[in-house]
This record gives sequence, structure tokens and C-alpha cells, in this order.
Amino acid sequence: MTTDLYPARIETGARIGPVAANPYPWPYDGSVAAARTALICIDWQVDFCGPGGYVDRMGYDIGLTRAGLPATAAMLEHARATGMLVIHTREGHAPDLSDLPANKRWRSRQIGAEIGSQGPAGRILVRGEPGWEIVAEVAPIPGEVLVDKPGKGAFYATNLDLVLRTHQITHIILTGITTDVCVHTTMREANDRGYECLILSDCTGATDPGNHAAALHMVTMQGGVFGAVATSTAVIEGTS
Amino acid sequence: VTTVAADPYPFEFDPATTALVIIDMQRDFVEPGGFGETLGNDVSLLQSVVPPLKKVLETARAVGLTVIHTREGHVPDLSDCPPAKLNRGEPTLRIGAPGPKGRILIRGEYGHDIIDDLAPAPGELVIDKPGKGSFHGTTFGAELQARGITSLVVTGVTTEVCVHTTVREANDRGYECLVLSDCVGSYFPEFQRIGLAMIAAQGGIFGWVAPSEAFLSALVPQEVTS
Repeated sequence: MTTDLYPARIETGARIGPVAANPYPWPYDGSVAAARTALICIDWQVDFCGPGGYVDRMGYDIGLTRAGLPATAAMLEHARATGMLVIHTREGHAPDLSDLPANKRWRSRQIGAEIGSQGPAGRILVRGEPGWEIVAEVAPIPGEVLVDKPGKGAFYATNLDLVLRTHQITHIILTGITTDVCVHTTMREANDRGYECLILSDCTGATDPGNHAAALHMVTMQGGVFGAVATSTAVIEGTS
Repeated sequence: VTTVAADPYPFEFDPATTALVIIDMQRDFVEPGGFGETLGNDVSLLQSVVPPLKKVLETARAVGLTVIHTREGHVPDLSDCPPAKLNRGEPTLRIGAPGPKGRILIRGEYGHDIIDDLAPAPGELVIDKPGKGSFHGTTFGAELQARGITSLVVTGVTTEVCVHTTVREANDRGYECLVLSDCVGSYFPEFQRIGLAMIAAQGGIFGWVAPSEAFLSALVPQEVTS
């Protein structure tokens, strides 16, 4: 798939905010045009949350990573209807693994899931394999931006920041998996870059429910150190 | 190669390509009467980091390990402070406002500088960063590359904010990170616990965790060759 830097978006004049959020009504500046807002859906890939994917076949409960799918599907519909910029990310590596750091490969081997080895849905975390694709429930539609990332954060070694600035995006709403790893890393990167961030508690999930809760709680400390937390319902209700 | 008993695996490193990174041990965060305390935080939890970290720093200097300090802060005219960071949550003490130890989080102010116990020695690198992570908007990554550093021993405050963000950035860039559990601190004991657990979870998804004693006992018999 190709990354389209200029997807067609509808101009609706919709505004987001104030959204009932913790620890402050989001965004900090009252409200933002949907056209200046990006919905970023992180790593909703078959290997992480799909039946027959890697996490499923390892015997883990994919119910925890799938829990946010229905709310995310509703949020995607809302984002498309209001004209937000919709961005999907996928974690993965080139087939020759030339963008795979040695320590990441070593550690994946230690837990029995070496990146690049044959998994239940193709080569694990390799671009183009069935397990690397985004699940049908929240699949991208033509014109939406796809960001392929080699790490946990969606900014490092990708064109995400360029895409956001090209579209004059100032505010970011985050969904995806897992809350404490890839979603949090991306939120931290976005926050340091000055984007005003909102993470959706019902559109995220983790393999450990305690880490999901703690990761959301961390966002709310010290007046919103990384941004704020809300539900998808609150965003929809906070749109005018 | 030196080996430290660590979670979830032994951490192997070459002292010649390893840096001790000390994050944001600034007066405003750590000392009584500073910005952190005025926000209602219990700074005694951060104070407890100082004695073991001082010992690690002294040992690192004695064996010739590369030492790098970071400070969070902004230029006096706030031109490098994103509006969201400045205004979010209607803070009682805004960045740049007069605080008990000078203007809050402003470079050059007394409170922005590193505490006396851990003051940088001549020749040690000090990275001034505008955000939580040490890589974004700084020369940190270039400085590491220039020195041939591939492993980081990470210490400082706070565990779940600046330490975690820096470790996540470093991990994505392929650096091996060992976090010293008693040399990082949080205002919140629950975040200290879960912050360390998250680093070593899932086979060390962000890196390794060990107490400073394990690191020191691995380091002391070594001499750096470079």
C-alpha cells in the first residue's frame, strides 16, 4: 500500500471541544476545528488483536486487545464524517530486516517470537504479511494515511510529523494498542512536539489490564503531563 | 564485556561504549521549596534517589565511563515552549513565572540547574531539552553517535515521565538501556513500581532493570580501555 500525503477530506466546519475529559476539558484551548485534528489509530494489526494472529496463537486472551475495536470503529466513522485527518500506523519491518535493531531482534527471539520468523499469519512483524495487516473492523479506506513504523513510537523514523504539519494538524486523538507501549510512546512523542493530545480510554487496550489503567492514569497527573483522557462518546458529544 | 544481573535478562555491556545518563536531577524537581514541591508533590521520594545515584556517579567517573546529564527547561523568551505545554490545565505556576528558586523551568535560573550533590564535572556533557524525552529537539542522539555509545545506564527523575520517555526513544533507536531501580524516582510510589515493571515486561520491551548495587559490582573490577 502507498502512503497518500494528500487524501481527500471533506470540509464540514465541525469543531471538537470542549470534550469532557480528565484532568481538564479537552482541548486546553477550548475547541479545535475537525480539519486541524488527526485521529491516529495505532497498530490495530492481525498479529496483535486478530483471530489466528500471533498473540491469539500464543494462547493469550485477545479479548483484551480487541476490547477497543467497536468504539474505535464508531470513532473512525465520526472522524470521517467530520473531516478529521485519519491516520493508521502499523509496526513492522522490511522483509530483509534491514530496519530491525539488533537488540529488538534478540529480545523477540528470547520470548519465542523472533521478528522475521514464520508465525501463524506469515512472517512475524514483516511488512506485507497477513499478520501485519490491519484488522477488518477498523481497516483504512482509500485516501487515509498509512504510517509504517519500525519502533514503538510513530514519530521516529517515519514521515508522521511531516504529514501532520503539511495538513496543519495541531491536535491529535489517539486510539490503538497497546495502551502502555505503542500508544503511550506515540503520545509522549507528540506531546514533546507540541501537539495537544487526547487518548481514548475505550478505544485502547493492553495485554495487562493493570498496565492499561496505569498508563491512562499517568496521563492525568500534574495537570495533564501528556494531555488528557476521555471516551469516544465524550468526543462525539463534544463535537458541534 | 561486563554482565549485570538484571530483569528480565542479564545485561551485557562494554564500558567503553556505555554512557551513564542522569535525567533532570534539577533543584526545582528534587529540592524542598522548589517548583515540584509547590505543586503539592512529596519531594522526599526523589531525595531518596540522591545517595545511591551519587555513588554510581562517583564510580562511573572513577572508571572513566561517559557521563551525560540532562535538564528540562526553556529559553527565557519561551520561544521553544509549545503553547499546549505552557497553558494546559491552567497551571497555578506557569513555566516562566517567578518561582521560589527563580523563573520556573527557565535555562540559567537557579532552580533549573542540577543539585549540588550531582553537579556535572568539567567535561561532562549537559543536554538541555525542551520536552520529556532527551532526544527530541536536542543534540543528544548526535552526541551519543559521536562518542560511539551503544548502551545507556539510565537514572534520574521522574521514572514514569522523563525517564520513561527517554528510554522509549532510545529503545526505538536501537540503544540498549539499563534502568537502575533505586536511582530513578517518582513523586508517586505506584508509578515507580509500575513504571519499572513496564520497562522489563514482555521480555524487556523497553530494556533492562537492576538495582545500582548489581551495576556497581559489575563495574568496579573493570577498567575502561579507551
